[in-house]
Amino acid sequence: MTHDPNAGASKHARQIDRRQFIKISALAGGGLLVASVSDASAHVAAVDGAPAAGLAPVADFAPNVFVSIAPSGAVTLIAPNSEMGQGIKTSLPMIIAEELDVKWEQVTVVQGDLNPAYGRQFSVGSGSTVANFIAMRRAGAAARAVLVEAAAQEWNVRASECTTFEGVVMHAASNRKAAYGALATKAAQLPAPVDVPLKDPRTFKLLGTRIAGVDNRKIVKGAPLFGMDVKLPGMLYATYTKCAVFGGEVVSANLEEVKAKPGVRDAFVLSGIAGLTSGVAVVADSTWNAFSATKALKVQWNEGPQVSQSSADMAVQALTLAKANGPAPLPSGVRAVEAVYHYPFLAHATLEPQNCTAWYNNGVMEMWTPTQIPSSGQGLVIKGLGLAANNVKVHITRLGGGFGRRGNNEFSLEAAAIAKKLAGTPIKLTWTREQDFAHDNYRSNGWHAFSAGIDGAGKVVALHDAFVKMEGGPGDMTAGGFPFNAIQGSQVRSSKLRGGIPTGFWRAPGDNGNVWATQCFMDELAHAAGKEPLAFTLDMLATVPASPRFDANKLIAVLKLAAEKANWGQKRARGEGQGFAICFANNAYVAIVADVSVSQAGDLKIKKLTAAVDAGTIVNLSGAEAQVQGSMLDGISAAWFQKITIERGAAAQTNFNKYPMLRMGQAPPVIDVHFIKSSAPPTGLGEPALPPAAPAVCNAIFAATAKRIRTLPIADDTLRWT
Amino acid sequence: MGKYTLNVNGAPRTVEVESDTPLLWVLRDSLELTGTKFGCGINQCGACTVHLNGVPTRSCRTPVSTVGSAVVTTIEGIDSPQARALQDAWCELDVPQCGYCQGGQILAAAALLKSNPRPTDADIDAAMARNLCRCASYTRIRAGIKRAAELAATSTPATGKRE
Repeated sequence: MTHDPNAGASKHARQIDRRQFIKISALAGGGLLVASVSDASAHVAAVDGAPAAGLAPVADFAPNVFVSIAPSGAVTLIAPNSEMGQGIKTSLPMIIAEELDVKWEQVTVVQGDLNPAYGRQFSVGSGSTVANFIAMRRAGAAARAVLVEAAAQEWNVRASECTTFEGVVMHAASNRKAAYGALATKAAQLPAPVDVPLKDPRTFKLLGTRIAGVDNRKIVKGAPLFGMDVKLPGMLYATYTKCAVFGGEVVSANLEEVKAKPGVRDAFVLSGIAGLTSGVAVVADSTWNAFSATKALKVQWNEGPQVSQSSADMAVQALTLAKANGPAPLPSGVRAVEAVYHYPFLAHATLEPQNCTAWYNNGVMEMWTPTQIPSSGQGLVIKGLGLAANNVKVHITRLGGGFGRRGNNEFSLEAAAIAKKLAGTPIKLTWTREQDFAHDNYRSNGWHAFSAGIDGAGKVVALHDAFVKMEGGPGDMTAGGFPFNAIQGSQVRSSKLRGGIPTGFWRAPGDNGNVWATQCFMDELAHAAGKEPLAFTLDMLATVPASPRFDANKLIAVLKLAAEKANWGQKRARGEGQGFAICFANNAYVAIVADVSVSQAGDLKIKKLTAAVDAGTIVNLSGAEAQVQGSMLDGISAAWFQKITIERGAAAQTNFNKYPMLRMGQAPPVIDVHFIKSSAPPTGLGEPALPPAAPAVCNAIFAATAKRIRTLPIADDTLRWT
Repeated sequence: MGKYTLNVNGAPRTVEVESDTPLLWVLRDSLELTGTKFGCGINQCGACTVHLNGVPTRSCRTPVSTVGSAVVTTIEGIDSPQARALQDAWCELDVPQCGYCQGGQILAAAALLKSNPRPTDADIDAAMARNLCRCASYTRIRAGIKRAAELAATSTPATGKRE
């Protein structure tokens, strides 16, 4: 089951790790090798056959940028997208391998650098699999077709009479077979075919199975993989300090004093660079010396206008704005149900703080960066530092978490700006945890002032949402989704708070808050209508008109499945409760049932989560299940404990002691994940199970305690009951 | 600035650093043992966990000057039967997501299994409480510890003694 990423490589490959690779490459002049790959196995693949020049051996068969097959039979596949825990470094090569028809054990996966030839390299919006599915299949299928053609020519038979099986071409009529490796040299001389037919998805053998992450063996041994682990010869270590108040700028700093601190090599102000927030760079001979000297930094800031912002004021303004956007009067005989839901700003808090290693050498800026959108970091550097596109090279390292944070690349520009100032010396910029919290692009806060009307028969006949969030960034609310699309004349009216606090894409943008609020309010409506909540939602889903994008029947199917698997509806003692919630996001359909208990003292325990998911074709069952498990807990962790409060225009919580995160003992012992069997194209899966997790828990808390959670985080409320 | 000779992964390693430098940065920057991760710097996340004389310790708040002759074991160096079983179980059950915390998780779990070869859920909750996983891979970490307990039981004598 376990896949050793080095299984297909030579003995030599196993002895060279990434750190050595970077050093070797750098010593060789930093040209070709580093520019082509950023992964140990790739380097070895490149140098094995041609140690002097570092070029791939001529005999290797490389029909496209993703596939290369050596005469030894070793298959090297490029993973074009950034790996941040979502499993893409394993799943995209799996798709190639499926069509190429090789054994997974033959495959070595290599992380691709930023390269336009790889197509869409963004890892955002749960879109990497969706966008690359066909391209990966074509890459594998085209390579397979050439190998078949090579065998057919060798044997003087028709290609159509040949078949393949696990890396071997076969001709049944003459009982001949040849391994791909043996055909590589011949295949390398043949033209790449056009329009190769793809497999019938129902014949997939590898896709849908459980394949362990290709880097697992390195991870459990502590091998260097992450941006934070990059080391270059002569490298120095940098910090970059910005004003805690958003938009604030440096006026002056005690640079001479800081320069006198142990190990400090330089300290300077950076400002006037397009796209860069002004700040103070401290460069030292170790991370610790840079951190220590940064503590001695005294900066005079021009804090700017955002200093007047606070979460407390925003709450007052939001309620005023919501009131101005209130509903039309309800017809007589219709009962009103009203509730205001509020969720706070959230930080991404990737466990690996933001960092980037940059080296400006002979006019070329080379960066090793844990980023979800490598082209965006490159673009910032081109624009901010006035470099030509072909002089800015980006190596994608493994990311210690993404969650949307690393779609922003300001840390890359900061590192590059420092490196340019210290031309010739590689520098690694490391943000402290405090800086990481203080300079995030937060999930926007939001308010939903709902009002609904229920008629005498218990039917919801009106639904209105006066929605408020911070100006800018994602997360807008529309009336297009459920339950708005089930109620004629339903309305969402949005207003925005003055901007200035940086907000951005946080896992399942928009849905992470909006689905929580609407799915909790749905539960309120069911109770107000005197209906059983599951039947209430199923009845309402059945009335949603069909649309090309959304199939309510699929949502009904996952909800019924989750309810069945979770034994929905059994009588429970007080203090025990079940709740559910549903979500359609990234074209996936998700239903979650939560089982909780709440002690009379108010201690919440999440006993079990049951998820049913329709995500189309499942590429890697292990990775898919992990994404559902992890995103549910991510949603619950945030809803239970987390908030960023703005005070005087700055984040008040700047480390995990003030921003708690779910820990082992708080995670449910049982998480049950069920996928609907499907041969439809894969949907996104890194996000859609997050939004319904928290409302399922909140609805379960209501079932257990009759307490309605309308403000997050849950931990701010007491759940005590008598 | 001071000169310190540490016992790291079974070998003496001499470094010259400021005396308040946390062991974390000595390992990462001076000794190029980057498997020990920086997460929070304030004893909160456990990404920097190492063993000091076999005890899981947060290296981000352990000044190098306090380490003395203690046996330092990092994720690169740990080779106990429990650690090997955990590493195998982690791969078998595909535990890591981003993977950044997993070295610390394995070191915490290795100490647990050494003192308690068949931990209950409550034992696991207590022993792992100081290690955050931002990807929330807790379900599989728990399963991985249980699987490793099985693997270690079949590869070591029933007394739980080392091979």
